[in-house]
Amino acid sequence: MTPQEQPAIRVMVVDDHPMWRDAVSRDLADAGFEVVAAVGEGTQAMQIAAAVRPDVVALDLQLPDVPGVDVTRGLLAAFPPARVLILSASGEHRDVLDAVKAGAAGYILKSASRAEFLDAVRRTAAGEPVFSPGLAGLVLGEFRRLAASPAPDTPRLTEREAEILQMVGTGLSYRQIADRLVLSHRTVQNHVQNTLTKLQLHNRVDLVRYVIEHGLGSDRP
Amino acid sequence: MAVVSLQAPLWRSIAAFRFASLGYAAILLVIRHDKYAHWGWAWAVLAGMTMWTIVSTVAYAVPERRTRSLLAADLIITSAAVLSTALVQYANSTSIGVMPVTATWLAGPALAWAVVGGATAGAAAAVVIGGCAVLLRGGFQGTALDGPIILLMAAVLVGYISTLTARAEQALQRATEIEAASRERERLARTIHDSVLQVLAMVQRRGAEAGGAAAEIGRLAGEQEAALRALVTGGGQVLSLAGELDLSAILAGEASSEVSVVTPAEPVLLAQRSAEETAAAVRAAIDNVRRHCGDSAKAWVLVDDEGAEVSVTIRDDGPGVSPSRLAEAAAEGRLGVTHAIRGRIRDLGGSADIDSTPGVGTEVRLRVPRSSPRA
Repeated sequence: MTPQEQPAIRVMVVDDHPMWRDAVSRDLADAGFEVVAAVGEGTQAMQIAAAVRPDVVALDLQLPDVPGVDVTRGLLAAFPPARVLILSASGEHRDVLDAVKAGAAGYILKSASRAEFLDAVRRTAAGEPVFSPGLAGLVLGEFRRLAASPAPDTPRLTEREAEILQMVGTGLSYRQIADRLVLSHRTVQNHVQNTLTKLQLHNRVDLVRYVIEHGLGSDRP
Repeated sequence: MAVVSLQAPLWRSIAAFRFASLGYAAILLVIRHDKYAHWGWAWAVLAGMTMWTIVSTVAYAVPERRTRSLLAADLIITSAAVLSTALVQYANSTSIGVMPVTATWLAGPALAWAVVGGATAGAAAAVVIGGCAVLLRGGFQGTALDGPIILLMAAVLVGYISTLTARAEQALQRATEIEAASRERERLARTIHDSVLQVLAMVQRRGAEAGGAAAEIGRLAGEQEAALRALVTGGGQVLSLAGELDLSAILAGEASSEVSVVTPAEPVLLAQRSAEETAAAVRAAIDNVRRHCGDSAKAWVLVDDEGAEVSVTIRDDGPGVSPSRLAEAAAEGRLGVTHAIRGRIRDLGGSADIDSTPGVGTEVRLRVPRSSPRA
């Protein structure tokens, strides 16, 4: 599938289960991706990220040493061009949402088929948001929660964005949504990406505000 | 599991009382020295009382040492001290109301018995000591009974409090055990989550790729993975203090390899009846998908908490039905399930819309109002 003239997509696999790590690495290699690293710990992943320069990091949220959210943030700080694709066997919604707010570009369940997984990696590398129905539900829920906040700079969903997220949440593909709403595939994709960008921006503003109010680690031993 | 003893403060109070009343007895002995025929011997009795106060305080401090023999010795020694008054005081002193040489110190064993054996034991000890005091006064005349009755009341009250604290201690112990058990359960859940789910997901993935019989195994593994994950993360449906249920947690149980349940990260709390009825309507809709679209049709359940109302969308990728066919079926009375869903939701003050397109699938959207404003 990967055009021969283009350099292969560089992928780093972070998963503490050797079985998964090997299987995922093999699948990626077989499909023509370049697996630049396969590690089992978050700390290690953050340390080598800048050296191995991955296009995509396939990250398991459940790591033994560092919480997935912090690994996401750390990876992007160490090597900003990387795109993080969350791979989770869990229904731990809060963790997934936090990782996405911290900058992860997409989320896919581990039970997804090999084809779905490879497609997700490919799309993540191309800068497309990988919105599983589950992630759409989480993002939609987060905006609903924020809607109750009176703060003026709270991000809001437009009607169209809410409509599209609901459709993604019920398993419709971008293509199907585009057909239903008489929009282009590209427009639907942009709407979805916008919702994510709003959340991530708000998260960053919140973080900055927190640091200004509380200082940078001054209260830590 | 070590639980802080709630009875320890009672024992400390008794010890403090014994020492304080010992001091009081000494003061009385000084003030009333003219009432004593053998003042020196009275001081000897007080010395004995001091010894026993120290010995008993040390002994009672450790639960294992609060034996029947200690309690019996306490009662006998105290009674003896009370009765010794007859030998050291002038005979007429007690009858005119002078306190025995022990003064209020005599209450010690009654309180100790009450703490160990409850109100009945406390009362029994109080009667024995009170009896000695009455005996000393030479009968029931005058105010002779006042002291013993106050002692009896104190003993019964302390006994009652002691029974209550014992019960509270048991309840606390049980609560601590339950907490430990649920912590262990959580730990197990995490472990299962981390290893078994991974393997099941892997079997599902590999099975589907291999095809044939392996695909069937993969499908089964997928079902078990979904069920197990729902069990681990759903954590059961716990009724909140306000009588609300988390709709997401209930619906999580419906997830399978064909049915995806999509929910927000935060719990979606609805009044118990609303939550249960909505879940029942969702189940009916999923059953309907199975009946009309076969076992392989996929379905998605999206829970959207819009604040004033909660919407649940159930979509399938089955063949769908044209609106005219839908109307036709309604006319022929073949929309039993749909009616049941509509009825349930309408009872909650909500609405149910069904939208079906041939070749695309069917979408059922339930809207349920929140009766009370959101917290």
